[in-house]
Amino acid sequence: MKGMPHESPDTRREFLKQLAAAGAATLAMGEPRLRADEGVARPAATADACILLWMAGGMAAPETFDPKRYQPFEKGVPAKNILSTFPSIPTAVDGVRICQGLEHLARVMDRATLIRSAVQPDLGHILHSRHQYHWHTGYVPPQTVACPHLGAWMARVLGPRNPVMPAFINIGQRLEGVGEQEELKAFTTGGFFGSEFGPMNLPYPDDAAQSVRPPKGMEPGRFSNRQKLFRALLDGNPQRDQMSDHQQQSLLRSMENAHRLLSSRERAAFDLTLEPRENFDAYNTGRFGQGCLLARRLVEQGARFVEVTTEYVPFLHWDTHANGHETVARLHRDMDRPIARLVLDLERLGLLDRTLVVIASEFSRDALIEGVPGSNARDQATAPSDTLQEAKHYGLHRHWTGGTSVVLFGGGMKRGYVHGATSDERPLVAVKNPVSVSDLHATLFTAMGISPKTSFDVERRPFYATEDGKGRAVREVFARG
Amino acid sequence: MFRRLRPALPAMALMALGAQAAPVDFAHQIVPILREHCTQCHAGDKKKGGLSINTRAELLAGGESGKALVPGSGAKSRLIEAVLSADPDRRMPQKGARLPVEKVNLLRQWIDEGAAWQDGFTFKPPAYEPPLRPRRPVLPPARDGRTHAIDRILDEYATQHRLPRPQPLADEAFARRVHLDLVGLLPEPDALDRFLADTSPDKRARLVRALLAQDTTYAEHWLTFWNDLLRNDYSGTGFITGGRKQITGWLYRALVENKPYDQFVRELIAYSPESEGFAAGIKWRGDVSAGATTEIQFAQSVGQAFLGINLKCASCHDSFIDRWKLDESFGLAAIYATGRLEIHRCDKPVGRTAKASWLFPELGQVDAGAPQPQRLKQLAALMTHPDNGRLTRTIVNRMWHRLMGRGVVHPTDAMQTEPWSHDLLDHLAVHLADQKFDLKQTLELIATSAAYQSHAEVMGADAAERGYQFAGPRAKRLTAEQFVDAVWQITSTAPARHDAPVVRGRASVSAPQDATTTARWIWSHANATRAPAGEVLVARARVNLKSVPLRAGAVVTADNSFALYVNGAAAGASENWESPVALSLAARLKAGTNEIVLVAKNGGAGPNPAGAFFESRIQLAGGETVTVGTDTTWQVTQTVPDNRGRFKTEPADWRPAVAVPDASVWHSSIGRQLGAQLAQAATSPQPMVRASLMKNDFLMRGLGRPHREQIVSVRPSDLTTLEAIDLNNGPLLAARLEQGAAHILAKPWPDADALAHWIFKFALSRSPGPKELASCRDLLGRTPTAQGVADLLWAVLMLPEFQLVR
Repeated sequence: MKGMPHESPDTRREFLKQLAAAGAATLAMGEPRLRADEGVARPAATADACILLWMAGGMAAPETFDPKRYQPFEKGVPAKNILSTFPSIPTAVDGVRICQGLEHLARVMDRATLIRSAVQPDLGHILHSRHQYHWHTGYVPPQTVACPHLGAWMARVLGPRNPVMPAFINIGQRLEGVGEQEELKAFTTGGFFGSEFGPMNLPYPDDAAQSVRPPKGMEPGRFSNRQKLFRALLDGNPQRDQMSDHQQQSLLRSMENAHRLLSSRERAAFDLTLEPRENFDAYNTGRFGQGCLLARRLVEQGARFVEVTTEYVPFLHWDTHANGHETVARLHRDMDRPIARLVLDLERLGLLDRTLVVIASEFSRDALIEGVPGSNARDQATAPSDTLQEAKHYGLHRHWTGGTSVVLFGGGMKRGYVHGATSDERPLVAVKNPVSVSDLHATLFTAMGISPKTSFDVERRPFYATEDGKGRAVREVFARG
Repeated sequence: MFRRLRPALPAMALMALGAQAAPVDFAHQIVPILREHCTQCHAGDKKKGGLSINTRAELLAGGESGKALVPGSGAKSRLIEAVLSADPDRRMPQKGARLPVEKVNLLRQWIDEGAAWQDGFTFKPPAYEPPLRPRRPVLPPARDGRTHAIDRILDEYATQHRLPRPQPLADEAFARRVHLDLVGLLPEPDALDRFLADTSPDKRARLVRALLAQDTTYAEHWLTFWNDLLRNDYSGTGFITGGRKQITGWLYRALVENKPYDQFVRELIAYSPESEGFAAGIKWRGDVSAGATTEIQFAQSVGQAFLGINLKCASCHDSFIDRWKLDESFGLAAIYATGRLEIHRCDKPVGRTAKASWLFPELGQVDAGAPQPQRLKQLAALMTHPDNGRLTRTIVNRMWHRLMGRGVVHPTDAMQTEPWSHDLLDHLAVHLADQKFDLKQTLELIATSAAYQSHAEVMGADAAERGYQFAGPRAKRLTAEQFVDAVWQITSTAPARHDAPVVRGRASVSAPQDATTTARWIWSHANATRAPAGEVLVARARVNLKSVPLRAGAVVTADNSFALYVNGAAAGASENWESPVALSLAARLKAGTNEIVLVAKNGGAGPNPAGAFFESRIQLAGGETVTVGTDTTWQVTQTVPDNRGRFKTEPADWRPAVAVPDASVWHSSIGRQLGAQLAQAATSPQPMVRASLMKNDFLMRGLGRPHREQIVSVRPSDLTTLEAIDLNNGPLLAARLEQGAAHILAKPWPDADALAHWIFKFALSRSPGPKELASCRDLLGRTPTAQGVADLLWAVLMLPEFQLVR
């Protein structure tokens, strides 16, 4: 194999062909055998790239995008009086209000479709990792096969947008050294598609450049010499002809792809220090804000699916089991500016129309009831009293699956549109147009040009992009109808 | 076809949804109706009235009375007319009750929607049903003096298929392949030289036997395969909530001692506390669907691991792809169930209770009325029944696949498929039974054949399309563990401690006879010789260590049972004082204060002797050894800790433990054993720590070590781009290479060529060719630097020749 010279349309096409060949080799050799269902028609895509902004741990809708009656903290206030702990503010869309603290987002809500009626199943004990698994794969664990992540589906079905860019990039989540790390790994994966379609994990945005650089301490000259040595040893092998078969070819192709990224100009996209200071500061509210900036840079250079998470760590961030109000105020600051800036930057760059930005979470929260009425879910709240005595009990601390907000920007979605609604009084269930996880996924897949019925044979059984192929896109949220 | 869990929507939401009718689901709604009411006369080979419904095409073609249906129009379809008709000549089905109206409506809606069919689905049962009983094939005559049973079969096969014999493999390549296949390590350069210099004709067979005789090395290689197949790991999903149990200790010993496979299987099915984890599966917190309960997991695991039967489809409904039925899956699950198990079809109860039964009643059946432990014993006996050829065929096929790169039946989990050589599969299977289920004999049989000792097949890109014919072994990718072990071997950078909770090596009676213990047997009070039955001892020691231990062996026992906790984690337990437990505590101990909690329980019906014994030898970094043993410095309390050995609140009643004055009742029978086990755990020589004993990490995960939440019998065969990126710049590998380069440079080398030769010989089992040597010289120069050596190591390790076992 020859090394890849610099970009030109021809070599790029050639490279895509080679990638396709790599796919064929995977089919020939891979276990399990995968077969796409060719009979399923692909919908016309309204987006080429997707950025999922993951509010890990359970983002309370009444504290963010679905404000209810505001109740300030007072010692002795009955807990049942609390629906929202933030007052609402107007947005760029007449009649649509969101929570105070999200002023920047309020100004870009005219670019958004706001779904207020996303619902999740009640899995008994409402556990983050199981719900996160469900949300990211479309399947409730446990499953008999390793389910691919949403991003892996996009990578598998659509492939990379730019052949040197990994198709599925996961920003902001550590997979080692955090609680429930094994549970997180279980869905942060290519699943049965194999690791070719799994995520490139970048837990620290400001360290992302290291992932596509030669190893620490290796200057570029040494790095390219090492690669030359590798090629020389390949060519110099006395038994070269006997060894050449397609398993070897596939291995070399992957080595070549890797080296290509590591010496490509696109790798600059991973380096936040190259962003103008002023822009960097505008995003920099911490790791999440930096992640939004990194996502933008990667999408600019052709990334297909990028997830940016506020990071799931049990009892931290959105997993607010105490001090809810105070914690959410901080999370507002973390998310408000960078997300708004991301939307505006994509728009300015002319990318918003074809980039679908999604804000979502595994479920919502409520001040009182966990799960749904009558559920056997265990009460996880630590302040069972009927009235609030301390500020740390002021907030939405209990898991709630009956009505959750999802925000969609760009990518062919309607602008300034609200879909569904939740009740104004407890229980805050979706009372209009409920959207299941399956239907929400079908919507995202459809926007990306993937049929929700797309299936692959694994262990000789069909496995669908949405459960049993039954997810149905929410037509109302598409601008083209 | 996968089980579904419907979102439990609030009632109001459901009302809002009510208006939309979901499209009919062929697999889950239509197939059962057709199967129940139509297939008796119109499927398989039956074609009453000229109509077969095996496939959509046949159904559309119709029969003697015309088209059976018109896609898009239920109203115009004869099928709907027939199921509604009261006319005895026209009605369908001709006998029995009429179809209920809901079913007719479903059929009509299905036709209205276009009568969608699942691609590839047919009502016709699969043509091939594998034989169950073992078969002893008559071996064809030997050709050209090739007398090995496998070669006799394959030479005959080659003649019949007009295939050339694969070319024989040279000694170097054979040595590399057989080392990696049997013990998972590269041959050391010295050992390779000795083998090459040996001129005796039986040297290959001797090498095979010698490798298989290396108990520890063999066990620590095959541990990877079995951990995958039995989904055992040292960390992973489910452990955090106590929903999962390791079988590591049991499995490790079974491999070191080469437990016969039939006994191995029996102990996994009719489990002991140590081997329970396989049968118990993973219990998730919260609600799971009926197709994912631990009972169903048991059926799936037993079916897949031991029989190569995939019951995942049939856990939800009768399988569309093979002959297994929902009731059969639930029957197998019911053997394990301790309560009533209701059969669910696609997560909805069907109104029947599962009756414990296994899959091949022709060999006998379990007694559904017997208690669970009895049923499991019966299943274990049926599974390992001499007439159950499926068990032996399944495992020998897996072994063949591991060594030859492709199964005789392929994929190896689809044992319902026809093998490419019946004689080969059947011979391997009866051979295993003849050899008393000794899997090492199977490996020896394969590895000593000319078929194994031949060139790897050179495959074209069309390999998958043109049906399989044997053309030599297929190259296999190094497993993540083999790759990492090989790096550790070459660079001498293996970790000093391992994660798996095992005492490495074989417990041997030849351990130092002078191994003596110094700990005392303790109890909570002086009258330990007449302690009440059921009395519990809770004892604690706090141990201060100056550094993290390199090694820490311990031996523990108690009359009658104990549970040991170290630093808030369970470290070991036993129910039988006569079987002391040897433990490695190195991974649990830390620098600073450590807390060891021993909970012992007296047994019996009336007052009887009680005592607990613990002794550990802990090697610290500086070479110092600390001994910790039960004695009167231990503290006892009445408070029982939680299941991780922690006290909710610090007990206030700590007082010193009492040494049992006369321990002869125990020492006379197990005193020497305690010493021997301690010596083995604490001081016996230990080969290099293996990757199979470590928890999964980024490098291994990248190289294909699975999460082990599901059973994995075959790992991915291709290196992916993301893995390649990690190999290019991942910190784990880079660090090993830097350290390794320093280690290698520290050895005395006459010149740079010698160093290059050594790296080639170690990594590739051959010397470099002239062009390769020239490249090495360019890089290394006259006086190699650490950078140069690290880069040469990297380039060699990246070669497909290194990453594949050819």
